[in-house]
Amino acid sequence: MDRIECQWCKAQNEPDRTSCFTCGAPLDKKNLVSDSGWAEAPRLRDMTEFRFSNSTCQIEGELVPVAELALAQGDAVFFEHHVMLWKEPGVPMSAMNTGGGMKRMLGGMPHVLSIAHGPGRIAFSRDAAGEVVVLPLHPSMELDVREHAFLAGTHSLNYSFVRIKGLANVMHGGEGMYLDRFVTANEPGLLLLHGYGNVFQKTLQPGEKILVEPGGFLYKDSSVTMNTVKQSMKTGMMGGHNMYLAEMTGPGRVGIQSMYVHHGSE
Amino acid sequence: MSTPTSTYTCPYCRIPSDGSGGTCPHCGAPVDVRERVSDSGWAEQPAIRDMARIRFSRSTCQIIGKYVPVAEMSLHEDDWVYFSHHNLLHTDPQVRLETMRMAGGWNRMLAGMPLIMMTARGPGHIAFSADKPGETLAVPLQHNQAVDVVEHRFLVATGNVTYQWENSGIWFSTQKGDDQEYHYPLGQTMDRFWAKGGPGLLLLHAPGNTFIRDLGPSERILIQPSGLIWKDPTVRMTLHFEYPHGAYWFSSARWQAKSAWLSLHGPGRVAIQSVFERPEMTGQVVRCSSATTQVW
Repeated sequence: MDRIECQWCKAQNEPDRTSCFTCGAPLDKKNLVSDSGWAEAPRLRDMTEFRFSNSTCQIEGELVPVAELALAQGDAVFFEHHVMLWKEPGVPMSAMNTGGGMKRMLGGMPHVLSIAHGPGRIAFSRDAAGEVVVLPLHPSMELDVREHAFLAGTHSLNYSFVRIKGLANVMHGGEGMYLDRFVTANEPGLLLLHGYGNVFQKTLQPGEKILVEPGGFLYKDSSVTMNTVKQSMKTGMMGGHNMYLAEMTGPGRVGIQSMYVHHGSE
Repeated sequence: MSTPTSTYTCPYCRIPSDGSGGTCPHCGAPVDVRERVSDSGWAEQPAIRDMARIRFSRSTCQIIGKYVPVAEMSLHEDDWVYFSHHNLLHTDPQVRLETMRMAGGWNRMLAGMPLIMMTARGPGHIAFSADKPGETLAVPLQHNQAVDVVEHRFLVATGNVTYQWENSGIWFSTQKGDDQEYHYPLGQTMDRFWAKGGPGLLLLHAPGNTFIRDLGPSERILIQPSGLIWKDPTVRMTLHFEYPHGAYWFSSARWQAKSAWLSLHGPGRVAIQSVFERPEMTGQVVRCSSATTQVW
């Protein structure tokens, strides 16, 4: 029988599977795509399990899902320490120095990321209703993620952070000062994000543009360029206000979340 | 289960359609589910299904997502919508965004209402979402039909729906020592949306679940003020204070109202949401808008 291709991560699955073995997306449901081309991130079924390296990840709950990892010996994940929900006492922990300490402190980012090593179980969740977005990263991929949006990344990912270019973009963009950058080298990796509300993804063609509320931006391929554009709004009293939108230009994927804090025009 | 027929009338928006599409083309409510009505008469507004489409004028609106749904509009070049800029999620670059002139800016600023409304003109796609989990409500308005909406529930409306705002008329003041504090349980203002020159579409966002009810003439019900979403203009509102009686003198609350209710008087339709703000102890009420009192 033919293998089933996951519409979210493109992995090939055994014909008898009902969820993708690399990202957990349901295989027996059609991908939901809006008229303008935004695809809904797959809604992972409660207790869905999928694999990475020699470990497994299980998604529990629906409103504020928990990602529970069963780490195998030799596997590890890194994360911001405040997303850790529980862990077995015997799971060894270490710290990853992110570099750029002063800059990160000014940017409101954690200096140190925590690393949990297998064997053992550890679970992560965020603080509001939303979805866990599972992004398997193939070798030689680069993904930029909104700060404080990532839940956990596997040890095979290289983590760095990039400053958002342009003072106007930092001041008015609403995405913060930095983006987390995740890069794969020769082996694949897995990135778990938490998006507030619902998460949607669109693949932009080369040169294709879309304007996004900055608070709604969640992630993008590093090939997608992001600029802040100003929309002037005259109110008739005391001049007016300006609204800032993030202009994303392809090629590449853009992910957005439907619940966000509005920035930049209060 | 109801069977789609050529004379299907949606029980939620009450507009007839052929009912063949699985969802009402005017409000997005599913047509193949049984109406759920509580014993007391509240009808649960069914959530609009993921990817359901609503037609208005020559454009469509697609509701996508579940927890915090997104209203994605495919605007025809002759159509336009207006919205509070906070609700804009994404837009095609070719959609023309402009500022909508608003009267009474100073009063709106004092009332905590958005000063700025924006218009979007087609052709192109534009999408809106709110900042809390809940439901998107589509309220199609027939020609000359109006609804009163509690502030901060508005998501987007079509250009032929007239928007005006007025004082809610629901307030009271409490006194503690020399300090007097004014309370506006519904907010200082309410929005009125009125379809003029043809049918229009109004989209609201309600946190939690939504329930609707028809009040008969002279029928009255008490609700938490912050639970109201919208009402027909024929529904009259007053305040109602309750002073419960305790077993002992010190557990009685004769000197301060324990509950400040919003009293809704029929006839007309009202919609409430299951999420509301925690009510505060009101203290001693010294002045108020039209109100009734119950001392238990």
